[in-house]
Amino acid sequence: MSEPQGCGAPAGGVAVTENNSGEAIIEGTVTSDGAPVSVGYARLLNDGGEFVAEVPLGPDGGFRFFAAPGTWTVRVLAPRGARAEETVTADRGHTTTLAVTVSAG
Amino acid sequence: MSRSDVLVDADWVEAHLGDPGVVLVEVDEDTSAYDKGHIANAVKIDWKKDLQDPVRRDFVDSRGFEELLSARGIGNDDLVILYGGNNNWFAAYAYWYFRLYGHDKVKLLDGGRKKWELDSRDLVTEVPSRARTSYKAKDQDTTLRAFRDEVVAAIGQRNLVDVRSPDEFSGKLLAPAHLPQEQAQRAGHIPTAKNVPWSKAANDDGTFKPDDDLRKLYGDEAGLDFGKDTIAYCRIGERSAHTWFVLHELLGQANVKNYDGSWTEYGSLVGVPIELGEGR
Repeated sequence: MSEPQGCGAPAGGVAVTENNSGEAIIEGTVTSDGAPVSVGYARLLNDGGEFVAEVPLGPDGGFRFFAAPGTWTVRVLAPRGARAEETVTADRGHTTTLAVTVSAG
Repeated sequence: MSRSDVLVDADWVEAHLGDPGVVLVEVDEDTSAYDKGHIANAVKIDWKKDLQDPVRRDFVDSRGFEELLSARGIGNDDLVILYGGNNNWFAAYAYWYFRLYGHDKVKLLDGGRKKWELDSRDLVTEVPSRARTSYKAKDQDTTLRAFRDEVVAAIGQRNLVDVRSPDEFSGKLLAPAHLPQEQAQRAGHIPTAKNVPWSKAANDDGTFKPDDDLRKLYGDEAGLDFGKDTIAYCRIGERSAHTWFVLHELLGQANVKNYDGSWTEYGSLVGVPIELGEGR
């Protein structure tokens, strides 16, 4: 076992490598009027609506989660009250990709 | 203790960020956010490099803490305002850590970096220069910190609060879902622990919920006995520092400890009991 790391979430999410290619990945990008939203947050909720994780959006509006098989909700928070929500399913060894649009607010 | 003794809001920070005797500190595990932009006059503390011993799994000792604060230009009499990303987890951890080494003039910026960004407030890249100080730390106050034997002995005796997400608590996930899940330790939770995810104590923008809501959350809903001592844990101790802050600093519970060994330690111990599934 490697030394425990903190639970911090890097902007955009942790990169996918060969070591985690068997994960149930949910990833995507957030845009507003066709432009990436680089200031904002994506949070993952479980099927009971409970908070599971959150990452700041990357410079390209990207986010990534390592979930488990099942149904999940991604909620996006951006400045000026902009919000969006999408429900997705995840499977082990698969990447579910989302294109999330928020209104300029 | 009132909220204003331990928390400031963003307007307060904007009004006081240039005051002598006030030091803003951004704390995070990944400090690249600070490098791209931070609140004016804030210095940075790196949760891993600055607060963890590079060899043993433990904190830097009091000498190391003295050196860190001296180098950052923080004096014993300064009021330290902590904030960070990840809903202030690492800032709350640093708050607990400052208190552990006896620095009582410390407050959290409610909502941290997230609320500041969602409000579209100013961030700068200029790094402030602060004159070196000669900081003196006290011995660690271990009434705030729980170790593993104490945690095992607390099963069924004290309140144990597992602040991880329901999926980590039940054993479905081994780590928060923004991290890869491959970890060597066992999944599950400490028997008799109540699962109160840290996130239930915070609003979407990262600010803390009102005291009445918090009291209801831990008391009526989770069934914590406020007459008993409490130990909070998570995976590695930052999310539980957030809950320690809520229980000890906002709600004024007397005996609350943070178990910073948390699940990465407990879930790797040989022979200790583990419970799977939902709490009982």
